[in-house]
Amino acid sequence: MDNTFDIAYVFDFIPKLLAYVQITLLIVAGSVGFGLIVGFLWALPRMYNVPVLKHLAALCVSFFRGTPVLILLFLIYYGVPEILKLVSIDVTRVPVLAFVILTYALNSGAYICEIIRGAVAAVDRGQMEAAYSVGMTKVQAFRRILLPQALAVSVPNFANKVLANLKETSLAYTLGTMDISGKAQTLGSTTMHFFETYIALSLIYFVIAMILEQLFLLAERRLHRHENHYRARTSFKLFRSIRQTGKEGEGLFNSTRSLS
Amino acid sequence: MIRVRNITKKFGKQEVLKGIDLSVEQGEVVVILGPSGSGKTTLLRCLNFLEKPDSGEVEISGYQVDCKRPGKQDIQTLRRKTAMVFQHYNLFKHKTVLENVMEGLVIVQGFGKVEAREKSVQVLEKVGLGDKLDMYPSQLSGGQQQRVGIARALALEPEVILFDEPTSALDPELVGEVLSVIRRIAAEGITMIVVTHEMGFARDVSSHVVFMDGGVVVEEGKPNEIFRSPKEERTRQFLSRITPELTYDI
Amino acid sequence: MTLLITAVSLIGGFIIALPVALVRIHRVPVLRQLASAYVTVIRGTPMLMHLFLIYYGLPILIDALARKFGFDFTAASIPIVYFVFIAFSLTAGAYMSEVIRSGIQAVDRGQVEAAYSVGMTPIQTFRRIILPQALAVSLLNLSSEVIGMLHGTTLAFTVSITEINARANIIASTNWKFFEAYIAAALMFWGLTVIIERVTARIERKINTFNRGGVA
Repeated sequence: MDNTFDIAYVFDFIPKLLAYVQITLLIVAGSVGFGLIVGFLWALPRMYNVPVLKHLAALCVSFFRGTPVLILLFLIYYGVPEILKLVSIDVTRVPVLAFVILTYALNSGAYICEIIRGAVAAVDRGQMEAAYSVGMTKVQAFRRILLPQALAVSVPNFANKVLANLKETSLAYTLGTMDISGKAQTLGSTTMHFFETYIALSLIYFVIAMILEQLFLLAERRLHRHENHYRARTSFKLFRSIRQTGKEGEGLFNSTRSLS
Repeated sequence: MIRVRNITKKFGKQEVLKGIDLSVEQGEVVVILGPSGSGKTTLLRCLNFLEKPDSGEVEISGYQVDCKRPGKQDIQTLRRKTAMVFQHYNLFKHKTVLENVMEGLVIVQGFGKVEAREKSVQVLEKVGLGDKLDMYPSQLSGGQQQRVGIARALALEPEVILFDEPTSALDPELVGEVLSVIRRIAAEGITMIVVTHEMGFARDVSSHVVFMDGGVVVEEGKPNEIFRSPKEERTRQFLSRITPELTYDI
Repeated sequence: MTLLITAVSLIGGFIIALPVALVRIHRVPVLRQLASAYVTVIRGTPMLMHLFLIYYGLPILIDALARKFGFDFTAASIPIVYFVFIAFSLTAGAYMSEVIRSGIQAVDRGQVEAAYSVGMTPIQTFRRIILPQALAVSLLNLSSEVIGMLHGTTLAFTVSITEINARANIIASTNWKFFEAYIAAALMFWGLTVIIERVTARIERKINTFNRGGVA
């Protein structure tokens, strides 16, 4: 087996992998997008204390956060068609990508639900009281007072989740998805230069992650422009540890549960 | 103009309001005094249903609400007739000073943006903040923030303004500026109900004083009567502890 | 097997994380940049990559070294598990160093000053004042990391280690059987996760009786 490491392969692979980067980004965007909807729906019964639904929602959230993504992928891919068969819906023609996005959406949704609840709880109750005392209805107060502030608070956690999501998409290849990870597998097995493919792949993930991180930092600063002395996290390149107000730790890619 | 009948309120097992009756006429400045835990803030918050009373009736300029089963519309109406100034100001953090005052006018009262702006600027100038229109609350001192809070309430032209310990969270040097604004408003004849610990203010500005303790109204009357010659023992105790100098007749 | 991998990775990770975190906190000149780079790179790339890079890359290195120094074993003779241990320890190390670092930095500087003024040495201060408070603050994050590594063990399947996931795959034969097997695996992981969450909550409650009013 030709095992000699050849750095030229890395440079060769990068453009080949990049050709598939839109699939990866599509998965991330799709899963975060749907995840927001799902997460919001799951958060509602718990925020408004709806009797039965809130327990169901909590159960769903716990399940989709408590099960590893890899297992979820297989579970949904094999399970959902079987279940739908029972109500005579045939989904054998549905592309794998749909299942992949569905799985990641459910997983993201669960995390996003928790993020939403945390952000809403973080907004000072006095703000809502002031809104009500001025005469606003619940809906008005929510949209104009709660939402903007909750949004600002939730950005760091949301950014973490999106980045984690990006990294998790690396698992989609196990179902045969042809995203950058999937392409890397084929490149690796055809050239037998696995190490180089994965170096190339890692570089790509890293760069995408950095770009997303910077975008989120910008968004965070913009949403907090009403605050005095707000310090968002800075990039590691500056090697300066500027702390976030009230949050611990700075640095790129703050940790979340999912590491893959 | 404002009548409150037999308000009761429990928090869990704790009875905080044990049947309060109160009436406030137009133009009056009513000050509610009392030790902490007496229920005075709770009573105030019941008036705009930030706390829901367990029983009783609230009536504001003829509009009556039965507290046992208030409709959503009822609560809305009450809230539109009142405005509140909070102890911790509760300015909308993500909006500028001007936007804070305009918010209620535009969203709740349906003013057009231009009119609302004019009105807001007027009111803000009245409280002395005409030059801070585009600043955010986080850039202002406590006294300034509270004045914005007062402006926000004023702009709505409510039937009554409720003040919940407006100066309790302020640094001592800043208390004066807020009190002088409140005095000015009082002099203009706006109906106000104020919960406060500022005795000097209470004595000078109020037209009617209510002393509460343990969830009931212990004594009420004209400021001179209450401060100079309180009838009840509890009132006397309270006053002597808070303002020793008032026990002397000058 | 799953638990073994999780445990080893966490311990390995901790061993790596502690010096990394300390180096960053105390700003040791050269090491600090290295440490930061390590953490950033690891956290910016998928865990799967870490696994694959070690799994495919380390043998190359080992074989090259073996040829140079005349060891008479090849990388092929090393059981796959060890690669998994190494890779996951590296991953865990980076994430845990962040948790440790932020935990230590969250302790109010005033506490440290008080300790010094009372006469404690830095080591005593660390052990008796900083560490307990740092632990209390970072408990939640630590638990997240543990759960993360637990979930991460499923990746070992991709290099064919037998753990819960693989067993599920092996047991299954038809589509329906696949589904059952995966449900079982899912429930098992979910169960473990919930247990960790509950235990964490209980520990948190206990620790927080000493923490009225927050630490920092």
